[in-house]
Amino acid sequence: MAVAARPPLAAGPPVYEGTRIPRPIPTVLQVDPALREEGDVLEVNFGPNHPSTHGVLRLVLDLNGERVVGLKAVIGYLHTGFEKNMEAKTYWKAITYAPRMDYVAFQANEYGFVAAIEKLLGIDVPPKAVWMRTLLLELNRIHSHLVWLGTGALELGAISMFWYCFRERDAILDLFEMVCGFRMHTRYFQAGGLAEDIPIGFYEECQKFCDVMPERIDEYEAILDQQAIFLARTQGIGLLAADDAIALAQSGPVLRASGVDWDIRKNEPYLAYGDVDFNVPVYTHGDVYDRYRVRIEEMRESVRIVQQCLDGMPDGPWTSDNRKVVLPPRHELHTSMESLIHHFKLVTEGYRVPEGEVYVAIESPRGEFGCYLVSDGGPRPWRVKFRAPSYVVLEATATVMSDALVADLIAIVGSLDNVMGEADR
Amino acid sequence: MAVERKRLADFGLNSERLLMTKLGPKKGEPAKFERELQPLEERLMLTTVEKAVTWAQGSSIWPDTFGLACCAIEMMSIVSSRYDVARFGAEVFRSSPRQADLLIVSGRVSHKMAAPLKQIYDQMLEPKWVMAMGACASSAGMFNNYAVLQGVDKIVPVDIYVPGCPPRPEAVLEGIVRLQEKIKAGVPPAYEIRRAAEG
Amino acid sequence: MDHAAVPGFVERKDAYGETTIVVERERLVEAALHLRDELGFNFLADVAAADYLGWGASGVAGYWGSPPPSEQTREWTPPARDLNAPGSWGLQRVPEPKPKRFSVSYHLLALGPTPRRIRLQVWCDDGEPVSSVVEVWPTADWHEREAWDLMGIAIEGHPNLARILMDDDWEGHPLRKDYPLGGEPVRFSDEE
Repeated sequence: MAVAARPPLAAGPPVYEGTRIPRPIPTVLQVDPALREEGDVLEVNFGPNHPSTHGVLRLVLDLNGERVVGLKAVIGYLHTGFEKNMEAKTYWKAITYAPRMDYVAFQANEYGFVAAIEKLLGIDVPPKAVWMRTLLLELNRIHSHLVWLGTGALELGAISMFWYCFRERDAILDLFEMVCGFRMHTRYFQAGGLAEDIPIGFYEECQKFCDVMPERIDEYEAILDQQAIFLARTQGIGLLAADDAIALAQSGPVLRASGVDWDIRKNEPYLAYGDVDFNVPVYTHGDVYDRYRVRIEEMRESVRIVQQCLDGMPDGPWTSDNRKVVLPPRHELHTSMESLIHHFKLVTEGYRVPEGEVYVAIESPRGEFGCYLVSDGGPRPWRVKFRAPSYVVLEATATVMSDALVADLIAIVGSLDNVMGEADR
Repeated sequence: MAVERKRLADFGLNSERLLMTKLGPKKGEPAKFERELQPLEERLMLTTVEKAVTWAQGSSIWPDTFGLACCAIEMMSIVSSRYDVARFGAEVFRSSPRQADLLIVSGRVSHKMAAPLKQIYDQMLEPKWVMAMGACASSAGMFNNYAVLQGVDKIVPVDIYVPGCPPRPEAVLEGIVRLQEKIKAGVPPAYEIRRAAEG
Repeated sequence: MDHAAVPGFVERKDAYGETTIVVERERLVEAALHLRDELGFNFLADVAAADYLGWGASGVAGYWGSPPPSEQTREWTPPARDLNAPGSWGLQRVPEPKPKRFSVSYHLLALGPTPRRIRLQVWCDDGEPVSSVVEVWPTADWHEREAWDLMGIAIEGHPNLARILMDDDWEGHPLRKDYPLGGEPVRFSDEE
């Protein structure tokens, strides 16, 4: 467990006593009526088109001078109707929708949905697919944290971080493109395994990335960690205590920065996470800086996991041979009538998933990504509901923003790392 | 054929301060200013004001940071060092619509977002262009449902459509280049065409 | 764990390695408090509402099975089909009937060294109020607003029950089964 030793902050205790969740509404910071009577409270609209809100988040702020005394988050500007649309599609077409929710951690969403289907199907996934999924999910985690780091630092004025982070992001996207032919929204996972075999040359390219990435993370730290402005703008603001974080069901880096040692990869292992060695970084101050630290450390751990996946990648089939779920190989269509029928049925009707309801939770880069899937036994999902960590993290805005200055708002909201596509779904 | 070159004095320009006649080699010969101006005149190009204006407009398209969904991430990456939209003079992303020329609608527009989008478009100063980036902005793509506006051209006139889900940064760059060609060729912005069509 | 001690306990279902506790709608808050304080489920991961209108009838959500049999002959078999077995293709039976139209599932997690997950479920019909659990788990705030907004679950006692994802003046609850998918008709598809 890596817990950083950091000198105590100059002003006040690092994490407060008691709870700061506003009452009676936990997600709205209401202005003190006495303060409003004085007449100095200014209501300011922040968003939905603002470069620093990570999408179309709208915050209605009440300012008393520089101080935020009231806050209400308004979401829904990117509501896309994913859940309704997926009900109208067969399962294997619905997989295409899932990555478009969290467009920074697309494969995590994709896997969350595929895992729910597989849980209902009870299908066996070959080990090569399991390890490849682990590898890609970790690459995706690095990708997500890079985008967060680049844009988050950019909002604090460190524009050079943006160039560095997007350089490595493109390197990861090249790997994704190599695997499935597209940079984002890969739809590489499907029920039963992977959509295609791992291409020739992928391991070498991925190894190059693993070799260079730790140094790059050192570079990021060298840029940010020694910069007085960055430290002053991140340390000791946006506080969230462990109890409040659990009560608000925070997850992922936000929870771990508040001192709660909880990582679904570690505590409820899925895929190959039980077989790889990695640490879960936990920090205790619960401020913006610790969220940054957690993500930086997670990138290092992810590189380690990717390396272990490369070393331990088993050989064998990349997808299940269950012909009722997985498309038959192309060459069989010319020789086998059975395969042709299966292909036809799968493409036109889709596979049927046994009746039942499941909830699958995975650790996306933003936290617990859950998929609640109800099947009636037909080829289309009856109900899909996603537990979006971005949606839940925005519930904490009122708590983390209490007593904050408006200038810190960018840093605080940025540190929550919300992706509006996932929050609004 | 030697052209009889007229002196500035023949045009009635006799200001001693401007011509710096005292800096000339001899009295009566072209002074320093005229000698410097002469090669410049030979290199000058004649054009129309319209062409000069469209050239300037096309070469400095400032996009608005209007990030909506997946495409916004790819829109950000056109600024990054690998793609470097600065080569085409469009790297200056402006957060205020009043300073922007190009609205890149990057992602799906929900009905709830339609009003802010229209407002932002109306706040932009003319001439202004709109790029529908990606399948969702162009036609709602795979989201044919209750929540999503079925194509952003229902509320704002679109100049250029970039296909893809999301389009690669190269595709966005090509969209910008095509838009520049369109501007430089003198094609009026889409809102003017729509206005003319609607009478 | 003694789930029968949960106030308002109706039934317990175990499927796919997950435990579902169905409780009476009127005693939801009591049950929630019991689960939180006695059984240690301190983390509310998700609140998921589902609409079962048309469940088991053909033509809804791609269900292509036979029409539901009469009440007397209706027999439900657990979902244990081997998809690889010959002749197992296709839906042979009607899905398990649901007690009411809507289900609201609370996915709980006991965050700790030995994590446990459980699903707390209540059933309601259109208009029947479901008590808010904001006082038990503050995170339920937005989840319940979403259940109201998209599914029309009448949450009772919520401090700020307003639409969250749709516009304030939106009519209807989009995720209900009787709400059309919307959009524009596409040529050469069934929607035209």
